[in-house]
Amino acid sequence: MSITDTTTAADPAVRGRRRAGGHRPSVTDRSARMSYLFVSGYVLLALAFGVVPTLYALRMSFFNGQGQFVWFANFIHVSQDFRFMPAVTHVGLFIAAWLIGLLFLVTLLALIIHSIGRRWLSSSVRFIYYIPGALAGASSVVLWLFVLDPTVSPVSAVLRALGSESLIQTVAPGNLPVVFAVIAFWTGAGGWIVVMYGALNSISIEVLEAARLDGANAIQTALHIQLPMLRKWISYMAIMSLAAGTQLFVEPKVLSQATHGVVPVDYSLNQLAYLYAFKQQDLNGSAAIAVMMLVVSLGLSVYVVIRGGLFERG
Amino acid sequence: MTTHNRRAAMTRQRRVLVTTAVAASLFAAAACSSATPDTDDSDAPDDSDGTSYGFETVEQDPSAPITVWVDASRQPAADAFIAANPDFPINVETYDGGADGSGSFQTKVEAFNQAGSGWPDVVFSTQNNDASWASQGTDPFAAPLDKGYFEQAFLDGFTPGALNPLTVDGTIYGLRNDLAPTVTWYNQSLLDEFGYDVPTTWEEYEALGEKVAVEHPGYIIGTVGDSFTPEIFFWAAKAPVNVVEGVDQLSCDTSDPKAVAMAELLDNLIAKGVLASQSVFSPEFVQSYGDKVLMLPGPVWYAGALFSNPDSLNAAPGTIAAGLPLAWDGETPAAGNVGGGTWFISRHSANLENAKTFLEWVTSDPAYQVDVAQGLPAYKEVGDLWLAKQAETGFFTDSFADNVSTAAGQVWDGWGFPKFSQEAVWAKTIIPELAAGKSLVDLLPAWETAIKNEAQVNGYQVS
Amino acid sequence: MSVALFFVAFFVVPIIWVLIASGKSTRDLITTGPFEPGTFADLAANWSALVSFQDGVIFRWLGNSGYYSLTALVITLATSIPAGYAFALGTFRGRKVLLTMTLVVMLIPNTALVLPIFLEMSAVGLIGHALAVILPFSFFPFGVYLTYIYFSTSVPRDLLDAARIDGCGEISVFLRIAMPLARPVIALVGFFSFVANWNNFFLPFLTVPGPKSPIQVGLTQLLSSVPAFNPTAAGVTVIQLPTLALATLLAATPVLLVFLFSQRFLVSGMTAGGTKE
Repeated sequence: MSITDTTTAADPAVRGRRRAGGHRPSVTDRSARMSYLFVSGYVLLALAFGVVPTLYALRMSFFNGQGQFVWFANFIHVSQDFRFMPAVTHVGLFIAAWLIGLLFLVTLLALIIHSIGRRWLSSSVRFIYYIPGALAGASSVVLWLFVLDPTVSPVSAVLRALGSESLIQTVAPGNLPVVFAVIAFWTGAGGWIVVMYGALNSISIEVLEAARLDGANAIQTALHIQLPMLRKWISYMAIMSLAAGTQLFVEPKVLSQATHGVVPVDYSLNQLAYLYAFKQQDLNGSAAIAVMMLVVSLGLSVYVVIRGGLFERG
Repeated sequence: MTTHNRRAAMTRQRRVLVTTAVAASLFAAAACSSATPDTDDSDAPDDSDGTSYGFETVEQDPSAPITVWVDASRQPAADAFIAANPDFPINVETYDGGADGSGSFQTKVEAFNQAGSGWPDVVFSTQNNDASWASQGTDPFAAPLDKGYFEQAFLDGFTPGALNPLTVDGTIYGLRNDLAPTVTWYNQSLLDEFGYDVPTTWEEYEALGEKVAVEHPGYIIGTVGDSFTPEIFFWAAKAPVNVVEGVDQLSCDTSDPKAVAMAELLDNLIAKGVLASQSVFSPEFVQSYGDKVLMLPGPVWYAGALFSNPDSLNAAPGTIAAGLPLAWDGETPAAGNVGGGTWFISRHSANLENAKTFLEWVTSDPAYQVDVAQGLPAYKEVGDLWLAKQAETGFFTDSFADNVSTAAGQVWDGWGFPKFSQEAVWAKTIIPELAAGKSLVDLLPAWETAIKNEAQVNGYQVS
Repeated sequence: MSVALFFVAFFVVPIIWVLIASGKSTRDLITTGPFEPGTFADLAANWSALVSFQDGVIFRWLGNSGYYSLTALVITLATSIPAGYAFALGTFRGRKVLLTMTLVVMLIPNTALVLPIFLEMSAVGLIGHALAVILPFSFFPFGVYLTYIYFSTSVPRDLLDAARIDGCGEISVFLRIAMPLARPVIALVGFFSFVANWNNFFLPFLTVPGPKSPIQVGLTQLLSSVPAFNPTAAGVTVIQLPTLALATLLAATPVLLVFLFSQRFLVSGMTAGGTKE
């Protein structure tokens, strides 16, 4: 019996009837009160470190340095910056290259690992896939300084095959979206593979057995049984990756440091927001960029939330 | 059914109202709390000891400890000070010094400005253009030093031109730690072996390059692969591409004859293969040119970073010489400048006297600057002592001390120190194109546009 | 299967490079092949250079990171797991509002949030205090969502309703029924929280500078002492590239250890996924 059936059946109609019942003994009311208790700790933290800062940023984007309300002046000013459109293009290309690769490859690799019989092998492979994720930010500068330089790189054969003879050529502007996508995938995939693997584990064995008995092979099982049940997880991964993609910051910063500025410090929108705030002392412009990024991610996420049923129960 | 719908609608409505109310109240709260902090954080100037600092200070406390920020390489300076002044109340904190354009100094100051507290008393920065922003704004960080705070006699003790990066609108806002003028490094023994003369003009340099290309291919007389290349070549060529005319005025003209002449010279030599296109810090440079460096115009700190460094060029003692800066034929020679750290004192300091004591010591006391420091001190007296000490080791040829001293005083003053990094603009705009084989002369207009764009977003009016 | 193997190579080759690089001298790093092994002597030299940097400050940085990350992890678990549970299986007004709010906050760029958080911490005088990072770190909406999705896909409401009918109070239901089933997601959330906190740079950079810095902030100082990244780095404080590679490994090791530790729970929860009807 599928889980989804039971839970959806419990939904609107039944709930509505219960509530309309007025003063029924409140298993539901008690549950609701306890729910408030359960979320209270998180809500406190969320208010302090999520909501208030977000509202602050929102406010900053509509006001100027003297505290006057200036409608959309900050947004217009920022979008006319000569670095703005290039940054948008960079981020767009990066997301296109990365998101598709990530969603597809992570799911594929998670399915493959899940199908590995021996537990030690499966754990080891997951561990290996994860290791790059432990190298963050400043600690990876030296790594990329060497890995992207064909004269000393462990993958120099690959770089040369792709036509690069020097570090500068590897990070030529046209290559950067792909370079960043590869780096971001290298560091980020392992974590998501672990999540997807955990999600796959939560699918009842009986369901898989039933499919097998029905004659489904691995691919059919994957496509018709496992993937649909992973809908929420994949949606979540899509949203988070979208957000992470629009907020591209660490990879260009690391490469910028490694190449001493050949990869510019204003490559991505997030970097531009940072420069506005801390280099140009224009906090309002910075907030405007952040709000624009938020609106785009939010818009795309709403689409994914609805299609992926993220807010539905079960 | 209807009851359910109406109830659901009411619940939704109520939900929306509650959310809006909460949001609005938080918005208001945020609005109130985020009002720009009053920029005038200072009390009446403290003239209790009769001296006027020339700017509004906070209330002074002669026993308050001072907080000093240094980078790891300047920690020995703080340590030496503490050793010489054991009872001095001081807290030393290390940070990255703003190295590699990280901007951490500016970021932190901006955060403190917003919060209204937290500034350190003394800061060291590896970047030499921090005075451009630290002296400006509604709540400037840097204290002016020449309006009554430091004695003029002390300030005059710096090598002429050393305090230029720290002078904004005629006022000095900090002290220079070390100098980094460019000299014409060359390999004396190779030069003798090949029978060449040391060039004294750019024209002679170019001619030498052409000869080397034919007679000794594989040898180089310079590099153009670093982001500080314009500071070596275009600065010394007196090209007006970075003229900071005022706090918010910048002019840049890459079509100026000097800029074009230098670009043509570089293009010519690059094409002839006598200018390496790798960074001097890259593995390729060491691999390909390790012992083929005939000449290398570059900053004084190449001495320790490249020539006497066993992991880099690892030159044999006595072979490397520091030649004087080059000049255009018929003109006075000019040196460029690549780096040189700076010290600042915060306007918000509660113990300006102690901060001054520290700063005077650290820039001019031989116990640090001669005995420990690795760079050419900017304070003339200790600078000369330092050069003499380097000369004693005999690693470089005899003329080293004199030539470097001369070069230190020949840094062209027509190259400014704007709020943005010229090196970053060069790295972003020129280096990839040069690597792709474009000519520098063709890239000049793009370079000018890039400089002007960057200047404008940093608040400059360009011409 | 060959796909999996290809990716093993993809993920692991640069790591092998770092391992080898940490045992080479600078000269060797530049001149020898990427897979040529270094020597133990060079490794020892690099290690000694690393631990003598500012008198072993790297251990202080690592200790700080551990302290901040672990403490925040505990608070995160204590707040996120119940919250995710309530979102998934509870019924209360404001559920969707809170979920949406969480989503919005997750999507806004971190750069926009750090300064307001810094100002908040400054306003309550916590700058320089460990709490200035631990408290913001404890806010982990990503974990809440993970928990929410996990509970809503793997734990049937009937199970809980049955317990309620049997007379269990809400807290009992949560602790005795839901929690045991949640071991995998607790491990996941704990792990991701630890890693996010360990790798966070900007907030600690602003709020706990100096000796209280975590490793990521400290590494930038290390970087500024490498002549290749800062030509003015001089004298005894010079760090060479192989030492930096060693520092990279040192900074990454705790994360990997936590990963290995939490993997056990991830796997052990496999059959306990509460799906038996």
